[in-house]
Amino acid sequence: MEIKDIISSGLLEVYATGLASREEELQVQQWKESFPEIAAELNEIMMALESYAHAHSVEPSVDIKQKLFNNINTHGKDKGVPLAASKPAVIRPIFSMWKMVAAASVILLIASVAVNITTYNKYNEAGKDLLALQNRLNETEEKNRLMEEDMNVVQSKYSLPVSLHGVDAAPDAAAKIFWMKNTGEVFIDPSNLPEAPQGKQYQLWAIVDGKPVDGGMIVNSKNGDKYRIQKMKTFGRAEAFAVTLETEKGNPTPKGPMFVMGKM
Amino acid sequence: MGGIQKYNEDELVLMLEQQDQQAFSYLYDNYAPALNGVIFRLVDDKALTEDILQEAFLKIWNNFSSYNKEKGRLFTWMINLTRNLAIDTLRSKGYKKQSKISGDENSVSNVQDNSFNVSRFDSMGIRSQLANLKPEQRIVIELAYFNGFTQDEIAKQIRIPLGTVKTRMRTAILELRKILQYT
Repeated sequence: MEIKDIISSGLLEVYATGLASREEELQVQQWKESFPEIAAELNEIMMALESYAHAHSVEPSVDIKQKLFNNINTHGKDKGVPLAASKPAVIRPIFSMWKMVAAASVILLIASVAVNITTYNKYNEAGKDLLALQNRLNETEEKNRLMEEDMNVVQSKYSLPVSLHGVDAAPDAAAKIFWMKNTGEVFIDPSNLPEAPQGKQYQLWAIVDGKPVDGGMIVNSKNGDKYRIQKMKTFGRAEAFAVTLETEKGNPTPKGPMFVMGKM
Repeated sequence: MGGIQKYNEDELVLMLEQQDQQAFSYLYDNYAPALNGVIFRLVDDKALTEDILQEAFLKIWNNFSSYNKEKGRLFTWMINLTRNLAIDTLRSKGYKKQSKISGDENSVSNVQDNSFNVSRFDSMGIRSQLANLKPEQRIVIELAYFNGFTQDEIAKQIRIPLGTVKTRMRTAILELRKILQYT
């Protein structure tokens, strides 16, 4: 742009009246620095306007100057506020549609968080329930398995049941032996024996050739196995079976009182 | 500039940067009437005008460091600051940005008819010389310089095309400069 074009553009006049935009201001300042003629022209314009303002002067009241100086001497610099800070903040409107979209987003987010918390709690509860159910199922399956084993013993076609009856010392006691004819395996159902006292345990004896032979310890009732049919020692043959109450872990020969007995 | 000139502008700026009260007193004596005239055009209330004048000079004193002489003359900075303060004050009081000048060009510059003393600058004869400016030229100068109207706003205010505002502003200032040369 040539100097005469700049001068005739009208932008210098806009600048001089203080109404130029930021971009226009920077443009004029750049021209002013680059071309002394522009600087001189701008100064002329400003001085002309200044004279115009002076020509329209209106004298203020005489006491204003005194008030002003009292003010600056009382408050000093501390009343100073940077001009930039006194400009009102620019508030840019947000299109109302976007406000609604933003509001809706926030509401959806809150709702989503609430649902997530609820769902998570339910999920945790469900997890606990499921675990409990699985435990119960496992227990039931285990019981079922044990019962099936018992039933296998009872229902086996080789199983020979022997009833053991209460002796005089314990007339209500009873037990049942299942002897496998093909293998000689011995099982006992101790469910009708009285609870073994602390420190004591029932022991099975097989009477072979008139002498008692250790048939194994009957598992204590503590762990709930009392009613289970238990596998004992194997005997190829036996004349009778008997159960005595012995000290824990048992004895090589019967020392405690006899509870039940039955002959093959 | 009128009156007895003791300082040139560079000296004045340097002293004001150092918070020299004597320089500030000089500044007030030489510029307060012109600034007061600008405010009065906008406000049309003597007491409010003088309140704004006082506040404008306080700002000039306290914020003198924000004047950048690379941007232009000291008075240009002062009049812009003062005008914006007056406009902001009016806005805060619920006034609309409007001109006391109507589209009627004969009503321009009738501030003599008020309770203020006639400015001593009038005695210099500039004002009578300005009678040589065409009213249509005076109105664009005054709307921009005194009222802070953008060229767009001037175009709407006096119902002329924007392009005409630009050329009229330029020719008005050229005419003004010519008048001042002979004063």
